[in-house]
Amino acid sequence: MMIKRKRQDEAKSQHMDKGQQGLDGDDESQQLQQVGQDPQNQESGQSDQSLRSDQAQLSQSKQTTQAKQSMLLDLDHVSKIYGDLHALDDLSLTVPAGQWLAVVGSSGSGKTTLMNIIGCMDTPSKGSVRLEGHPLEDLSSAQLADVRKDVVGLVFQKFYLIPHLTAVENVMVSQYYHSVVDERQALDALDRVGLADRAHHLPGQLSGGEQQRVCVARALINDPKLILADEPTGNLDEANEKIVLDIFRQLHEQGTTLIVVTHDALVASCAQREIMLNHGELSGELWNDEDAHQAYLAAGGRPAFSHDAAPGTQPSDLLTQDLPVGFANPTKAAKVGGQTTKGE
Amino acid sequence: MAGKHSTNTRMFFTMLFGAVFRRWGRALMAVTASLVGAATLCCLAAVCLEIPQQMNEEMRAYGANLVVAPIEEAGQAKAGIAPGMVAHTTDMVTAKGPAKHASYRYDTVRINSASYLMAGIHPDQVRQLNRHWNVEGAWPSPGKVMVGRDLADTMGLKVGGSVQAKYLEADGNGESRVGGQWQKDKVLGQASYRVAGIVETGGSEDDIVYATLADLEALTQSKRGTDVIEYSSSAMGDQLTAIATSINEMRSMHVKAQTVTKISTADTRIITMLQTLFWLISLVVLALTLVGVGTTMASIVSQRRSEIGLRKALGASSGSIAVEFYVESAAYGLIGGLLGTALGYAFAYLLCRSVFGRTLAFNWWLALGSVLLSLVIAVAGSLQPVSRASRIDPALVLNGE
Repeated sequence: MMIKRKRQDEAKSQHMDKGQQGLDGDDESQQLQQVGQDPQNQESGQSDQSLRSDQAQLSQSKQTTQAKQSMLLDLDHVSKIYGDLHALDDLSLTVPAGQWLAVVGSSGSGKTTLMNIIGCMDTPSKGSVRLEGHPLEDLSSAQLADVRKDVVGLVFQKFYLIPHLTAVENVMVSQYYHSVVDERQALDALDRVGLADRAHHLPGQLSGGEQQRVCVARALINDPKLILADEPTGNLDEANEKIVLDIFRQLHEQGTTLIVVTHDALVASCAQREIMLNHGELSGELWNDEDAHQAYLAAGGRPAFSHDAAPGTQPSDLLTQDLPVGFANPTKAAKVGGQTTKGE
Repeated sequence: MAGKHSTNTRMFFTMLFGAVFRRWGRALMAVTASLVGAATLCCLAAVCLEIPQQMNEEMRAYGANLVVAPIEEAGQAKAGIAPGMVAHTTDMVTAKGPAKHASYRYDTVRINSASYLMAGIHPDQVRQLNRHWNVEGAWPSPGKVMVGRDLADTMGLKVGGSVQAKYLEADGNGESRVGGQWQKDKVLGQASYRVAGIVETGGSEDDIVYATLADLEALTQSKRGTDVIEYSSSAMGDQLTAIATSINEMRSMHVKAQTVTKISTADTRIITMLQTLFWLISLVVLALTLVGVGTTMASIVSQRRSEIGLRKALGASSGSIAVEFYVESAAYGLIGGLLGTALGYAFAYLLCRSVFGRTLAFNWWLALGSVLLSLVIAVAGSLQPVSRASRIDPALVLNGE
């Protein structure tokens, strides 16, 4: 019943999007028609150059609108201000569905603030956030909770498993607040992260890596469009870090959008795209997967930017310079299954 | 939808079971707080409900609280209350509550030429009614009398001694006065009795000779009604007065009833004091339990802040968080209430047996009230902590702030 309702909601959402597209398209078409009619109605002295310029602008505007609509996440000049402190300062960022994005930066750089805003646990002081095309800034906390449980799967550094519930029960808690509890599905999710045989153990009986995998299974159980992971490997040893990254890679291959906040350059390098924050501002952007980069640009995606800097003008090499660990670390290939080459 | 409801309900109870039974450290504290409160309240209530009943019985041991006597008309020989009327009066009294009674026939007899009052009694009745009488030796039996302490001292009587009594015609006609000069000396009956016992009450009983009713009837050569019926009724206060009034209103019975004010008033006052004390102690215990449960719940909520933050991050509403914690508190109250009630009853049982020598019956209504009260107190105690918990900001908690 719930699945059916969810599908109906999705269909409705798509219908609304199409309607929006149609409306926008009509507007632009009318504008284009007006521009096209101008030569007939205007003085003969108007130049063809001016006409082409208008058409180019409208074409760009149409592409931007379409690009925004194809983006799962769209942050437009987002700031979070606490008194005099700008925890996040005028950040613009778009993330298409299926992208694996890493957010890196030192402590206090605004990573967590960004994660809270994307995860619908906080609202921006300025700017707008759209998730699946829906603006979030005017939603109440209850409405944000609804969006969060329907769209976002959360993975935490400290796991946050409920200590008095078994692994499978922890996964079912997420189902409980989302829709319908189904133990079979929960067991399948644990099986997916390789923990079928540990399903009925309490968190205290699991290793750190196993607990994080339960956390991932919990994030996956409701088929979220976006997995938001905060330092997912921060408390793990190397072996478990590799297991978790393997799971992320599988999820990415299956089309799940991943946003991973991390200190670890190696973990960040597994992502298709990295952005670096510094004092709440974007200080760099790096693409590890050039094909994905080209596809992103072709779909109308823009580089992230802060303030009034033109998209793409912020130096991407800053990212490499500021990272505490170089990308050429020999252990990287072992951790990420040999898929770490920049621009791959 | 029914399937969804049942699976989610099962999950709700799975979470509740986990919180209560897999976190014994904290759960034990909350259960203990409820248990102590329930045990104290249940024990106090059981004992205090038992005490008035016990007090009543103890007070009844100090004699009657209602006396019924015939209405004598001037110029007529005293006939007393006929056995049928005794039964009728007794029915009226026992209709309002259990009562013991004893009937007395009084006649003036001569012992060593002096007039003394002899009471004809059924010894078992009188002994049941006056358990506080201090009797040296034995109660009257056929051929044996029990003599009042003052009278025994005056005549130098000892237990095992003998006494000679005469009944004169003049005494029967009422022409002589006790202790006065007798005018006629026609002896209607005389008998010699052995002194079975000497009674000491500190009251007028110390000047009376007690014999069995049959011995007195043999001595006086006559059978007539009872002069006084004493009742020890479980009714108290207004209820006792109502009994006396209803008897007095029945003029055709030719009897008058009077309450023994001293005993019934003391009885009521002591019980009122005990009940007031009970309520005061109960209020203190209630407040302490509330504080105990509240503090424990606050501690539990504080320890589970990150769990609450996580639940909210997963989409739980403040209302559902509150419901989960209220039901958990109620579970602690229920478990603590059940155990506490059992423990409280056990204490009350031991107390009643050791102090009063009575077996305390199990009061189901009291037990049910005690468990329900524990449950309500547990939920009330968690109101404030749960309200705080439901307002937790998941972002702050999950970021470790």
